Amino acid sequence: MSDTAPFVRVSGVSKIFDGDRAHGSIHVIDNVSMDIGTGEFVVYLGPSGCGKTTLMRIVGGLETATDGIVDLAGERVTGPDRHKGMVFQAYTSFPWLTVYENILFGTKYRTDINDTEKAEVSRHYLDLVGLGEFSEFFVNRISGGMRQRVAIARTLAAGPDILLMDEPFGALDAQTREFLQVQLLEISRIEKKAVIFVTHDVEEAVFLADRIFIFSARPATIVEEVPVKDTIPGRRTLETKETEEFFHLRNHVRNVMLAQTKAMEMIDVPTGDAE
Amino acid sequence: MSENPTSGSQVSTDSPRKSNLNFRGLLAYRGTSTASAELLMAVCAFCGFFLVWYAIVAFGIVPERFLPFPDAVVKALWGMFATNNFIEDVGISITRVWGAFILSVIMAVPIGIWMGSYRVVGAIIEPIVDFIRYLPVPALVPLLIIWFGIGESSKVAVLWMGTFFQLVLLIADDSKRIPREYIEIGYTLGARPSQITKDIVFRSMMPNMVDNLRITLGWCWTWIIVAEIVASKSGIGHVIWSMRRFLKTPEIMAGILTVGVIGLVSDQIIRILARRIFRYL
Repeated sequence: MSDTAPFVRVSGVSKIFDGDRAHGSIHVIDNVSMDIGTGEFVVYLGPSGCGKTTLMRIVGGLETATDGIVDLAGERVTGPDRHKGMVFQAYTSFPWLTVYENILFGTKYRTDINDTEKAEVSRHYLDLVGLGEFSEFFVNRISGGMRQRVAIARTLAAGPDILLMDEPFGALDAQTREFLQVQLLEISRIEKKAVIFVTHDVEEAVFLADRIFIFSARPATIVEEVPVKDTIPGRRTLETKETEEFFHLRNHVRNVMLAQTKAMEMIDVPTGDAE
Repeated sequence: MSENPTSGSQVSTDSPRKSNLNFRGLLAYRGTSTASAELLMAVCAFCGFFLVWYAIVAFGIVPERFLPFPDAVVKALWGMFATNNFIEDVGISITRVWGAFILSVIMAVPIGIWMGSYRVVGAIIEPIVDFIRYLPVPALVPLLIIWFGIGESSKVAVLWMGTFFQLVLLIADDSKRIPREYIEIGYTLGARPSQITKDIVFRSMMPNMVDNLRITLGWCWTWIIVAEIVASKSGIGHVIWSMRRFLKTPEIMAGILTVGVIGLVSDQIIRILARRIFRYL
């Protein structure tokens, strides 16, 4: 990204969790800096427990950095608010509300629009995630994939500047996951919102990202920055996964990841000749 | 859309051949059942209970003076309502129970949620509450009578002592059990802590809370009888205790049964209401 003013600027962020007597303190993130452009889809990839989620939470204001600063749209991030929308892996749509009411809940604390507009916005996102015909269903009557779509729609209804997604498709089966990946790409294309998407799934990362940041084992540092968009430009469909570019990029990323996972697990994984 | 709207396990597809009562499901290890089968079992259990009772008296295993026939108890109950104005005592006891119960709830719900929301409040209140809730309530009755006299306030005090301190901890636990993600979603949608408490925490914990309230209401009936036996001129407990003086076992048992029936009925009413309100469960 060669924008003059980056949308998100992370500079020199470190995080140390204070431990107690039993565990000691944990150094989670070590001096990470990055710029994210407007409307850019960024994926944080790294071994489980490496600190990538923590970094995303710092950007979202849900966690404070021990060192370093985060700026979003020119303003310092000091805490969570509706400009930084979150989608979690766990189902967070509220069981006491219907699909539509859940999405409407996303607009509940907005002061920039009135009630009529809130209903319009909610309808719009209800349709965008393709749940129009399920609007009156309670969310525990619909599938896991649908619940995540409700969560995405609710977050978008709050009018965020950036979408922070913490392994949102982690609990879904492979088919539903692919389906939602395609839908998410569509949504981000239409919404033109910056996205930070955390995952440990290499294929998911390559398929979704404009840019991937691969993180090391704890404490997390950026091992490699993969400009996926340069290799695979244009709109992506499931067929993209069959192309040679995708195949090569995926293998490359997988090998980088494997080295990090080995470091994390401290075991020898025999490397198959993928390339 | 390649997804199913509902997961298969929630849709019951009873084949028409299968009987509505589904006895096989009742007998199977962790099997399923239907509402009508459960009702039938409940009726059978009550019939069996009265049959065994009848047999014990009929065969003289326990002298009738100590354990009257079931029909004698029913007759006694009828007599109490017809001539002794028992309905008034029942009304007084119900009023005391609900008055004290509502007082407990009004205090315990906000304080409990407050304890669950702020570590400092929990850290201050929890040790005290934990200590008081282990004090045996009957042992406090003499003290409460000295403090509050033998009027209505002492009964309320006994019931309140017996329920508030338990309830406040249950509510605090309920509120703490809300997934952390719910709170964080609240923040990222722009809610303030007070709004998160009202719109997310309270709403989310309600079903569990109602269950805890039901259990606590049951305890109230234990404490009201204790309170009315010790110091009262009215109420079901007072009636039971005064009948003891004349060795009127049928009347004593009629009084006990009345408490059981009131408890059962009010519990069922709350459950039906809860099922209405929490349609999503």
